[in-house]
Amino acid sequence: MSYITGPDVVKYACSCGLLKPISHLYFCRYCFQLRCSFCVCHEVDSNFCGKCSENIPSSEARVKKNRCGNCYVCPSCQQELSTRIASKGPVNPEDSKSTPKKMYYLSCQFCRWSSRDVGIPDQSTVTGGWPERENVHSNRLQELVDMYKAIVLAQKQQKDKDKKKQRGKFLSYTDRTGVTAAALRKRIGLPAEFTHPILKNKPKEPEPASAKTEVDEVPEQLLTEPINLMEITTVEQRLLQPEAQPVTVDKLFPVHKQLSIKRSLRCRHCEHNVSKPEYNPSSVKFKIQLFAYYHIPEIRIVTVEPLRAGKQCELIVKFTNPTQHQTTIAFLKLNMDEEDASLDSEVAEVIQDLDQTLSLQEKQQMSLTSLPLSTSQPSSLISVPSRQPSLTIEPRKISQEVNCDIEVPTSSFILPPRDDAAEYDDSGDTHNIQDDPKLVKWRKSNKAFIKLNVTPMSDLALNSEVVCGFIMQHIYTNTVASKEPQKYNHKVKVFLRLGQLVGSE
Amino acid sequence: MSRNNIKILPGALVCEESKLRGDITIGSGTIVHPSATIIAEAGPIIIGECCLIEEQVKIIHRLPFDQQNKENTTPVLIIGSHNVFEVDCTVESPKIGNNNVFESKCYVGNKVTVSNGCIIGAGCRVTEEQILKENIIIFGSKCQMREGLDRPGLQTLQMETLSKMIPNYHHIKKPNKKV
Ligand SMILES: [Zn+2]
Ligand SMILES: [Zn+2]
Ligand SMILES: [Zn+2]
Ligand SMILES: [Zn+2]
Ligand SMILES: [Zn+2]
Repeated sequence: MSYITGPDVVKYACSCGLLKPISHLYFCRYCFQLRCSFCVCHEVDSNFCGKCSENIPSSEARVKKNRCGNCYVCPSCQQELSTRIASKGPVNPEDSKSTPKKMYYLSCQFCRWSSRDVGIPDQSTVTGGWPERENVHSNRLQELVDMYKAIVLAQKQQKDKDKKKQRGKFLSYTDRTGVTAAALRKRIGLPAEFTHPILKNKPKEPEPASAKTEVDEVPEQLLTEPINLMEITTVEQRLLQPEAQPVTVDKLFPVHKQLSIKRSLRCRHCEHNVSKPEYNPSSVKFKIQLFAYYHIPEIRIVTVEPLRAGKQCELIVKFTNPTQHQTTIAFLKLNMDEEDASLDSEVAEVIQDLDQTLSLQEKQQMSLTSLPLSTSQPSSLISVPSRQPSLTIEPRKISQEVNCDIEVPTSSFILPPRDDAAEYDDSGDTHNIQDDPKLVKWRKSNKAFIKLNVTPMSDLALNSEVVCGFIMQHIYTNTVASKEPQKYNHKVKVFLRLGQLVGSE
Repeated sequence: MSRNNIKILPGALVCEESKLRGDITIGSGTIVHPSATIIAEAGPIIIGECCLIEEQVKIIHRLPFDQQNKENTTPVLIIGSHNVFEVDCTVESPKIGNNNVFESKCYVGNKVTVSNGCIIGAGCRVTEEQILKENIIIFGSKCQMREGLDRPGLQTLQMETLSKMIPNYHHIKKPNKKV
C-alpha cells in the first residue's frame, strides 16, 4: 500500500501537533481525537521469537536477555541459521545392523556460513545444546551490577529514614530543649560528626579499573604483510557480539536470535487502547485497531493546475468516507497563528435529525455558542463525555509553513456511507444528493471529487514547494458511548503539498 | 560469427526453445532450460559436464573493449563441470572452473575470472577485474566476500528430477556428437 500512501502529499495534523499521513494515524473513539505513535503509550504485550513463533513470558525473556534459547542467527550475515542433518557412518562399522548416526549442524542459507566453519562439533540432537560461550568479563560485570544495586537499596533506605525523621521533627527532644544534635551526641559519648548512612553502609566497591599508559607496540606485520580482508570481521559482525567483539572470522559464533515484541498502543488521555494485536505470535491480526483510516475521511489530490505565483488555479481533491455512516464535510479557514487548543477539543453534538441542507454559517454559529461551556448551553449541544485525563499533553505548534491561499468553500457536501457492494454497481446511483455544482465535480458511492481554488502567494520563488492547508469538519458518528449513535463535528487540520511553483508562462 | 555451430554431446539435455548463438559445445549431463540464452560472440563456448543452466540465464562470451582488437587469437570460453546457473543470472566471465554457483539475478562481468567452488550470491553484481580464488562466497547487498570451508554441495537430486521431467514437456535438441 505504500505506493499509494507513500508520497506524503496529504498530511493530517495529529492532536499532538505532528503532521502525519492518514495511514500513520489512530483515532481514539472515546476522545474523538487523532493520535499518532508519538502521542500514545506503547506497551509490550508479549515477547516472542520470530523464527519458532513461540511466546516467551517476560520474566523468562529478561533472564534470557531477550533472546530465544533455541534459535540462532548467522554471525556472518545476521540471517537466521537453520539446522541441517549430516549422517555419520555407523557407530560400530563391524556391526552391519547399526544405522548411520544422524548429526546436526547449523548452516546459513544466505552466506553459507556453517557451525563447521569455526570448528563447532556437530551435535547429536536437533535442538543442539550448542556450546554457550562464557563472557570473559561476566564476573566483573556482576560485581558492578551488585554494587549499584546495593547503592540503590541504601539510597532508598535513607529516603525512608528521612521521611520518618521529618514526620517527628516538631516533637523532637532536641528541638524543645534547644540542645543541638551535635552537643547531645557529644554528651552521650558519640562522635560529634554524623556520618551519612549512605557512606556508612557503603557497599564494598569492586576494584576500580586501572588506566594504562603503556600500550602494546603496533605489530610490525600490519605494515609488512598484506591484509586478507576475508579473515577480518566487519563492524556489523563485531557489534553483533558486543561482549566478545571478534576481530577475525574464525571467532564468529552463532548468536541467539533476538526476540520480537507484540505491542499495544494506548491513548494517553483516556487510557483506551487504539491498537491491540492478537496474542498468538503467528497471527498478524488485531483485537483492536482504531486506525484513522477507518474513521476519518481520506483526502487525495487528483489533479492540480500548474502553480504560478499569485495566480488562482484549480485543485481537484477526492474525499472518501470510510465509515458505515453518512457524513457531511465542510471547510473552515486554517489560521496558523490562532491559539486553537479549543478548536480540536470542542466537539458539539449535532442534532440527530439535523437538516442536511443546514448551511455552514448556521452550523458555525451553533458551534460558536457552545464555545463557552456554560451550564446554560442548549440541551442539544453537549460536551464530550468527560473522562478524567490521566495525562494532559500540551499540543505543540504545527511547524508546517503554508504559502498558498485557499478559497474556502461556503457550502458543504455529503458523503454517503461506504458500501462494499457499490463497487459492482454500475447504475451510477447518486443517492439523489443536491450538490453545489461549483464544489462537487463528480461523485460515486462514498467518494466525491471536490474542486477547490488555490492561489500560491505572490512572493514565492520559482521551484519552491507549494503547501496549502484547511480545516476539514466532518460529522463523526459515534456508536460506542451509547446505544443510540451520536453525531459529532470533528475537525482536522489538513495540509496538502501541491508541488513546485512553475514560471509565469 | 553469424553461423551457428552447436555441438551437443550425448547425455546433455538442451531444450529446443533455448537461444544458442555461435560456436557452442555442451557437455554430457548438462541441462539447458527453454528460455536460457547462450551467446558465443567473441569466440567458441565449451560447457563441461553436468552443468545446470536454468530459465532466463544469459551466458555471453563477450570481450572487454580493450581486448576486442587483438585479432591474433580467438579466445575460447571454457566453462567447467558441475556449475549451477540459477534463474535470471547474467554471466560474461572469460573463464569459469568447476562447482560454482551463480545465484538468481546475479551479474558477473567479463573481467571476472571464476575459479572453482565459488558462490556468487543472489543479486550480487561483480564487475571489477579480478580472479575469484577457490571457494569464495559473495553475498549480500554490499557484495561481502568470505571464504567457504568447502565447495557447495552438488545438485544431483535436482538434476535427476529435471532430466526426467523436462523431456515430458519440452522438445529436446538431439545430441549431434559422438564421444
Ligand atoms: Zn500525535
Ligand atoms: Zn526461537
Ligand atoms: Zn549467513
Ligand atoms: Zn482517548
Ligand atoms: Zn478521553
